Parts: sequence; structure tokens; C-alpha cells
Amino acid sequence: MSVIVFVEHDGGIIKKKNFEAVQYASGIAQKMSATVTAVILGTIGDAELEKLGEYGAQKVLHVEDSRLDELHPRAYTSALLAAIEKEGAKIIVTLNDINGRAVAPRIAVKLKAGLVAGALTYPDMEKGFVIKKAVYSGKAFAYVNIASDTKVIMLMPNTFPLAKTEGKAAIEKLAVNFGDKDFGIKVKEVSKVTGEVSLSDAALVVSGGRGMKGPENWYLIENLAKELGAATACSRPVSDSDWRPHHEHVGQTGGTIRPDLYIAVGISGAIQHLAGVNGSKTIVVINRDPEAPFFKAANYGIVGDAMEVLPRLTEAVKKFKLHK
Amino acid sequence: MKILVCISQVPDTSTKVVLKDNNTAVESNGVTYIINPYDEWYGLIRAIELKESGVASEIDLVTVGKANTEPVIRKALALGGDKAIRIDADSNDPYLTAVYIADYAKSEHYDLILCGKESIDYNNGTVGSMLAELLDMDYIGFATEIKIEGNTAIVKREIEGGEETDSCNFPLVISCQKGVAEARIPNMRGIMAARTRPLNVVTPAAIEPVTSILSYELPPAKAGVKLVDPADMDQLVELLHSEAKVI
Amino acid sequence: MNDVENVKAIKGGEFLIRETTAESIFIPEEWNEEQLMIAETCNNFLAQHVTPNLNRIDAQEEGLMSHLMDEAGALGLLGISVPEEYGGFGKDFKTSMLVTEKLGAGNSFSVAFSAHSGIGTLPILYYGNDAQKQKYIPKLTSGEWKGAYCLTEPSSGSDANSGKARAKLTEDGKHYLITGQKMWITNAGFADVFTVFAKIDNDENLSAFIVEKDFEGITLNTEEHKMGIKGSSTRQVFFNDCKVPVENLLSERQNGFKIAVNILNIGRMKLGGGTVGASKEVISMAVKYANEREQFGRAISKYGAIRHKLAQQAILTYAAESAVYRASQNMEEATDMLIESGLDEIKAKLKGTEQFAIEAAIIKVHASEVLDYVVDEGVQIYGGMGYSAEAPMERAYRDSRINRIFEGTNEINRMLTVDMMLKRAMKGELDLMGPAQKVAGELMSIPDFSAGGDEGPFTKEKKYIANFKKAILMVAGAAVQKLMTQLAKEQEVLMNLADMLIELYVSESLQLRVEKLVGLRGEESCKEQLDMMRVYINDAAEKIARSGKEALNSFAEGDEKRMMMMGLKRYTKTDDLNTTQARRNIAAKLIAENKYCF
Repeated sequence: MSVIVFVEHDGGIIKKKNFEAVQYASGIAQKMSATVTAVILGTIGDAELEKLGEYGAQKVLHVEDSRLDELHPRAYTSALLAAIEKEGAKIIVTLNDINGRAVAPRIAVKLKAGLVAGALTYPDMEKGFVIKKAVYSGKAFAYVNIASDTKVIMLMPNTFPLAKTEGKAAIEKLAVNFGDKDFGIKVKEVSKVTGEVSLSDAALVVSGGRGMKGPENWYLIENLAKELGAATACSRPVSDSDWRPHHEHVGQTGGTIRPDLYIAVGISGAIQHLAGVNGSKTIVVINRDPEAPFFKAANYGIVGDAMEVLPRLTEAVKKFKLHK
Repeated sequence: MKILVCISQVPDTSTKVVLKDNNTAVESNGVTYIINPYDEWYGLIRAIELKESGVASEIDLVTVGKANTEPVIRKALALGGDKAIRIDADSNDPYLTAVYIADYAKSEHYDLILCGKESIDYNNGTVGSMLAELLDMDYIGFATEIKIEGNTAIVKREIEGGEETDSCNFPLVISCQKGVAEARIPNMRGIMAARTRPLNVVTPAAIEPVTSILSYELPPAKAGVKLVDPADMDQLVELLHSEAKVI
Repeated sequence: MNDVENVKAIKGGEFLIRETTAESIFIPEEWNEEQLMIAETCNNFLAQHVTPNLNRIDAQEEGLMSHLMDEAGALGLLGISVPEEYGGFGKDFKTSMLVTEKLGAGNSFSVAFSAHSGIGTLPILYYGNDAQKQKYIPKLTSGEWKGAYCLTEPSSGSDANSGKARAKLTEDGKHYLITGQKMWITNAGFADVFTVFAKIDNDENLSAFIVEKDFEGITLNTEEHKMGIKGSSTRQVFFNDCKVPVENLLSERQNGFKIAVNILNIGRMKLGGGTVGASKEVISMAVKYANEREQFGRAISKYGAIRHKLAQQAILTYAAESAVYRASQNMEEATDMLIESGLDEIKAKLKGTEQFAIEAAIIKVHASEVLDYVVDEGVQIYGGMGYSAEAPMERAYRDSRINRIFEGTNEINRMLTVDMMLKRAMKGELDLMGPAQKVAGELMSIPDFSAGGDEGPFTKEKKYIANFKKAILMVAGAAVQKLMTQLAKEQEVLMNLADMLIELYVSESLQLRVEKLVGLRGEESCKEQLDMMRVYINDAAEKIARSGKEALNSFAEGDEKRMMMMGLKRYTKTDDLNTTQARRNIAAKLIAENKYCF
């Protein structure tokens, strides 16, 4: 038996979070004495595929079809179902991200499999097949049991630290017959923001709130983010006032993120905002108001004016990088 | 064009989660319920806009929930929609929810099904995609803009690190997020009309859920904030490096 | 006391001599789903459009307030109780009160809203002929036109009928020319339609006119610089031979004072609702702040001194709200009965309102003073931040103050309360003499110390309230007897009597509300409400005793005074109550909910 893990790549490059998914699948496989088969779609070189072995994949099934370089949920589903059938897999792992959400639910339906979206732990098999996940946007956790024979797990990215092994993966090409409907969606235009770190999988995030006073001050946030190699985010009032683009809004009604470091500048810390970021490992809060509720959720706090503190922090980071 | 909007009742965003029954359930006493914001602000309002502009001819709303969800459904009807369907069941299993809705929707021949990108209670974000599979439809997730040209939807959606514009013919399921529409406040006319709009209750076929929530847990309290002198940012960088080990 | 037969027909002012049953009153816990949805629309409107813009509103940013009124109009909030034939939604008075209450938390916006939808719209709606209503009401309801009301003049405020503005008919008989100066005109800066009061020629009484902004001869002075409600447009309006077509005379010649008084009755009741809404919002802010602000290592909400304040804010607000909706319901029922008896709807509304003018004055005074208490303690809970213009309490504190001044000062309203009571008694509409004599007789007899049957949760309080009535009848009866026609000049005594009446009316409204609520939900889930009732009535007894004593000391003497003092003591006696513990219980609930939650 094998555990199937769906591995995404970004133009032929496999990202950290995808290795994390492979490692997670491998952890499950070890508990069940099963093997791990990674399934990867579209145009990617074998050298990149070999890296999957280092995180526990014994086998890589590569569906080499350039049409799969774009997301086509139905085609992806067909490809994965072919791999699942070939491997006789009962456990399917994907990430809880945009592509994962387009594909995993379809597979779950096809296989009448129970699904957990946003897994934070390995399944506890003593109690059944119980996985912890965040609910109420991080205000609580739920322990979900999957009762069905086949199981689909969508791992929350940035949950487990990566550790390389000496493992090697056998790479196989898999041919899939796609149906008429598999490519019903036509991609007309792609615009990628280059040079910036994408928010959803950023390890470091610098975020600004209304305390930044106006979009004209955002260069202070951007400078710090650039120095740290961090992504930028914002609170809801900021995106509502169109100071920043909507996709930067984090919080209960925006994006939920779980970076290693979240620096919140001029954000008071309403419960709705905290819900979207309280999975962050370390939180730094910079706020002029010592009563800002966010300080209660922070690891480190700076009571001060962002306009003065931010340039100082940016300088300090610069200095730190030079000395390292 | 006939649109189905999936709505879900969730606790208000300001709700503090309180557990009960030995942590096997979440306290509902004293909780204010709202329409899931992604469903309301984006999916429902976009559907209403499409009807106002003459593109859509009919909007139905569907929810899976017991009778206590009806106030929220009528609030949705106060915003707009021709009728609502309440599938009389309690479900926190996304598969079950999707099957219930699909069973209802399959004979109705909707051109477009809109839902929020996820519900803010269980945060699964999977029902839309499941519905598409169950109803043999295409699915576009994380939409930020929806335009209709004839029989085709032109959809902007979020991708990793950017945005993509897709086109797809009906029938189609789209999950919506910020950008698709602007939140509205129900007006008096809508509120008064809500009472006259049909709310049909459907009893679903008995199906076993494939997942179940065994228990809940609240996040541990933070240890307390360590205050750093605003004049000494070197100290902060040092703490982030050697103590927190994040840079 | 009279028996409780035909409770529905309770008349204005009768609360002093009759018992009311809990079932017969309306309590806000009975709002239906549609009303709650309307309330939520108001809350959302404030949260999205008003609260984030309060600084801009207070800076009177050009066009902003007018735009907000347009938005409110688009949501239908300007025409809640306007009949559907005039573009409104035909909702009952209580529902329009609910909207006033919710929007009452909108600082300057709520003033603009109230002025427009109340005194700006109602005179035309209630007194206009069909052509006038067709022309003006739909536009006022949609917000396309904004309304204002021009009554006050520099030398004529509380004494409204003494205004100097004059109107004279042109020779061709087609126009009135109005000349005069009107002051403190809310919404003047952007209003399209003014209801203007002026005397025609040398009439004894005012007449009312509908004046459009574009009629010749209107000029606006600059904005007044005010202590609070800075965002509300307040100007002088000058009329200089302003040419008003004769068909714009509202109602009949010399009917203006009646119009003004009647519209004020509604305005007073609405002011009560609006201030209750503001109080609730301020309490929510105070609770949140107290939960967040830490001193000596604990949230300040953990300290008894703060808890006392929070509880007291909630008790007073809940009590005021009970009175507002009890009276609203009474007015509505009186109106319905008049319609049933064949009166047309508008006339019935006016008469129904007039019927409860005493209660309207009581509510105006009480609720505005409650808000002043609530904002004052709100500032105190915020401490230093309460005094800072960066935190919301400072604005709330300033904005509250006007409520004790406009719609008739609280002093005028206190005098009116007693005056109307006595006038009705004299006209034979209200039998005060019978009950007053009965009390006088009781004073001579041996006091009744029996517990009075079952000790239900409300037995005691009902007895206290019955006694409050006796105390008032005793003092008022004596005052009338002793002072006779001089009473009208003894303003201090009138104030004392008004204070006693206010405490009685509010105590009884609160007691009835809690009784009805317990009937609906059971005692177990109404613990805090029961505590609020007990504390309020406990304190009311002391206030009534103090006012009564002050009054008696001013005019009574000798044995008679001694006997009445003993009677007063007896009628305001209450059992010991641990109000500290009761307030702690109430505060605990507020703190746990992190908002006003009753």
C-alpha cells in the first residue's frame, strides 16, 4: 500500500511547503508500514523531482503534460485518480492551499473519502484516525476523526520543520487519458507579482494597520519587509480604505496566515484580526497605544511611534545581516 | 441564467469561542449568528448585482441547517434572492453538506453556483469544489472578480503570488472572496420583502457522515509580552535571532 | 387604587392612580425578527458610514452629512413610520422608536437624523393637506430633500408662542411674506424644506408654513460654534419678506402653536429613545475599555469602584429603556383605539400622542439625565484617556449635554409634567382628588403591616410602587391645598413633584418589564434584570423621600407636617438590600459579555 502525496511546483521549482507535504506523507506512511508516492503534474525536470526522495518519497509519478502547467481542477483530479488507482492508495495528502482546495475535495467525492482540511498533526491512529485542525479561524482547534476507508488529508503549510534524509525516489512517468471536460477552464491571463514574497507561504510577514496613518507611509513597511525578505500584509480597515490591495488583508474575513514571524505595526488587534494571524509562531507588535489589545497576544512588544520605530528596526536588521 | 448561492450560518466574527460538554461542543448560548461573510458579502451580493443588471433571471439561496438558521436565511432574503431552501440537517462534515446540496440542486439546473471561499467556523473551503464534482461542473476557487459574457464566466482568481483570469462556460461553481462585490446593508424594502419570499424546507435522505469532530480545544494563552525599548531595535533583532530563532 | 379592569384603556397620567399589569406593556425583549433586522441595519449603517467618519462629520466636511442622510434615505431609514402611500414603510411607532434608539448612538448624525425625520417631516405629515403631503413627504422620506424646523428665536426659546416672526398676506392674496429671525436651527445648512412658525399680522397664536429653501428672502447665518454635536449643522435663518405661496400655510391660521407642541411631544419621546441608544453604546465602550485597561497588574474591570459604575450605568439605561417602550406602546394603543372609534389616522396619532404628553416629558428628562450620567462615568472609567480627544468618550460627553436643553429644557419639562397632571385633574379627566383623599384618610389610620399574601418575586416591589404613588398623592395633594394658585410659581415644589413622578414612572415601568420578562424566560435567566429592578427601586425610594421632604418642608407646618413626614417615611420605606452585591452581579455579566447586554 502507498500513501499518495500531490506535489505542486511553481514553474518547475518545488517549494518548501511541498516538501513539507511529502515529509508529512512519509511520516504517516511509516506508521502504517506503507510507501510514499509523490504525484507531480506538468513540466518539471528530473533533477528537481529527485529532491522529493530526500523528504521521504519512494516513488515519483510524473504526469508530463504541459497543459497541466496551469491549474485544471478536473484534469488534476483525473491524473491523481489514475495514480491512486495504480498505487492502490488509501491515504491521499495535499496541501491546504489554493490548488489543494481545487483538487482534494473532488478526489474525496470520487472516493467517498472523509477529508480534513488544514491538518496540523499526524493522524492519531490509536483513537481511530484523528487529526487536529484549526476552526473558527484559529480561535479553537477541532479533533476530527475520518471514518471512511479512504482518507484525504490537506496539510496546513508551515506546520512542520523540514529535515532532509538520504532517501532516493524512483521516478516514473505516468500517462493519463484526459477526458473532454478536463480542460473546460481557459486561462486567459496570468499576472504574477514578481520580486515580492507571496503572503500565503511567507515565513516572515510585516503587516500594517490604520496606525500607519495613510498609504504614503507604507514605504516604511515595505523597506523593512525587503530587508527581512518578508511578505507584506495589512488589516481590514486598511484594505477597506484601499490603502493596500485586497489580497494583503489578513484576518478572519481575509487571509489566514501562519508565518514564523508576524510583525504587526499600528494594528490594534481586534479579535477578527487575531483570528487570522494567531497561528504565527512569533508575534511582534509595534503600537503607540500601550493599551492596544494586540500586546496581549504578542511575544514582543514595542510601545512607540511606527514612523520612528520602523526605520530604526530596518537599520538594525541591515546591521544584523552585515555582521552575520 | 439561474444562480444558486450557498450560504452558511456562522458565529459573528467578534464571538469568543466557549467550549462545553467536556469540550465536545461549542457553546451556542449567547452567540450571535450571521451569514458567513464570504457567502454574504461576495457570493450573494454578486448574484444580486447580476440580477439587478438583468444578467441573472433567478437567484435561489440554499443552506444546510436546522430551524434555528431561519433568521439568518431571512436576512439573506432581505438582501435579495427569489427563494430560499433550507435543507433540514445539521452537518459539520463537508462531504455530507455537499451531497445534501447536490441532491437538491441536480434537478434544478443551475447555470452558476456561488459560495464563499470558506466558512469562518470550520474553515474547510471544500464544499464548492465537492459540489462541482457531484454535479459534474467546473469549479473556479478564490475568485476576486466575476463577469458574465453570454454563456461564459470571466473570472479573476487568486493564484500563488498573483492573479489569473479564467474563462469558463456554464454550468460552473465559483467560490468567492474579497473583490467580487461590496458588502451591502439590507434596506427596509428588502427586509419587508423577506417575509414574502418563500423559504422551503427540504428533508434530506439519510447519509452517514465520513468525518466527525470528536472534541475541541482552545489555543494556549500566550506567555505574556516582552516589552522592548523603542529606541533599541538591535535588542529586538537579537531576541528574534537568538531567543525566538525566527531570523 | 382603582382596579385593573380594561387595562388597555389606560390613559396618559393615569399611572399615578392606577395599576398596570405586566402583560399589558411592551418590552424590548419582544422585538420580532423583522424589527431586529431593522435594528441591525441601523447598527451596520452606523458602523460602516458614521462611526469611522465622526472626525470628518464634526469638522462639517462639505456635503458629508447631507450624503449620509442620502444613504440613510436609500436604506429606508427616513420613512419608517411614514405611510406607504407617501413612500414610507408604514411601520408602527415602536419600530420607528427602535430606529431612533439605534441611530441615537450616531453622535451628530443622530441629531441630523432626528431633526429631519421628526420635526423636519412630521409637521407636514401630520398637519399637511393631501397636496402638501404628496409634494413634500415622498422627497423627505427618500432623503432627496432634507427637512428643518424653525421655531426658536433669539428672545423666544422655552416660551415659544412669544416669537416675533410675522407673516402678512400680499395684496393679491397669493403669498405670505414672512419676516423674522430664527435661531438654533438644526440642519439649516443643507435643509431644502423648513417648517417655519410665525404669527400672521397681530394674531395671538403662531401659524406654521412650509418654506422651501429656494423661496425668495431666506439667508443663512454662519455655523454656530457649539460645545458638542459639532457635526450637526446649526445656524440662524433669516426671513426677509420671504415669499411663501398661500397654499403652503400648514393646517389652519393660528394652529401653529398646537402643531409645535404636539410635534414636541413626539420629539421628546424620541429623544428618550435616542439617548437610550447612545447610553448603550457608551456603556459598551466603557466595558470594553475596563476589560482591556490594566492597572496594578489587573484589568480595571476587576475593581469594585469600576464595577459599581458599570452596573449603575446599565441599571439606569435599562430602566430608561423600559419607560420609553412602555409609553411608546401606550401611545400606539391609544391611537389605534381612536382610529377604531372612527377618527382618521393622522388625527388619531396626534391625539394619542397628546394623551401621553406627561409620559413623554418624563421620558425626555429621565433618559437625557441618564445619558449624562453614563457619559460622565464613561469619561471617568477611561481615566486620562477619557479626557483625550483621541478616545471616543470625550466626544460622547460633549454631545450628550444638549439633550437636557433642546426639545424643551428639562426644567420646562419637569414643570409641564406636574402642570399637565394638575390640569387634567381640574378638567376632570384624571381623578386625583379621590385617591389623594383616600391617602389622607389612610394617614390617620393604623398602618397596614401585613405582608400581603404570597411572597412572589414582585410582591415587595409592587407594594413599594403602590406606596410611592401614595407618597406623591399625599405631597401633591397637600401642595395644591396649601399653595393653591401660588403653586405654579413655586417652581422648586414643582421640581420636587416632577422628580417624584419621574422616579415612580420609571420604577413601575422597570418592575413591569422584569415581571413580564420573568414570565417569558423564567427567573433563573433573569437574575441580573431582577437585581437591576431591586437596586433601582431601592434608590428611587430614597429619591422620592428626599424630594417629598424638601417639598413638605417648604410649605407645610405643625402637626400636619409631622404627620405627613411620618407618612412619607412609611410610603418610602424599603427593606434592607445589599446593593453592592447586586451591582457586582450586574457588572459581572457586563464584563463577561464585554458589552451592554441587557
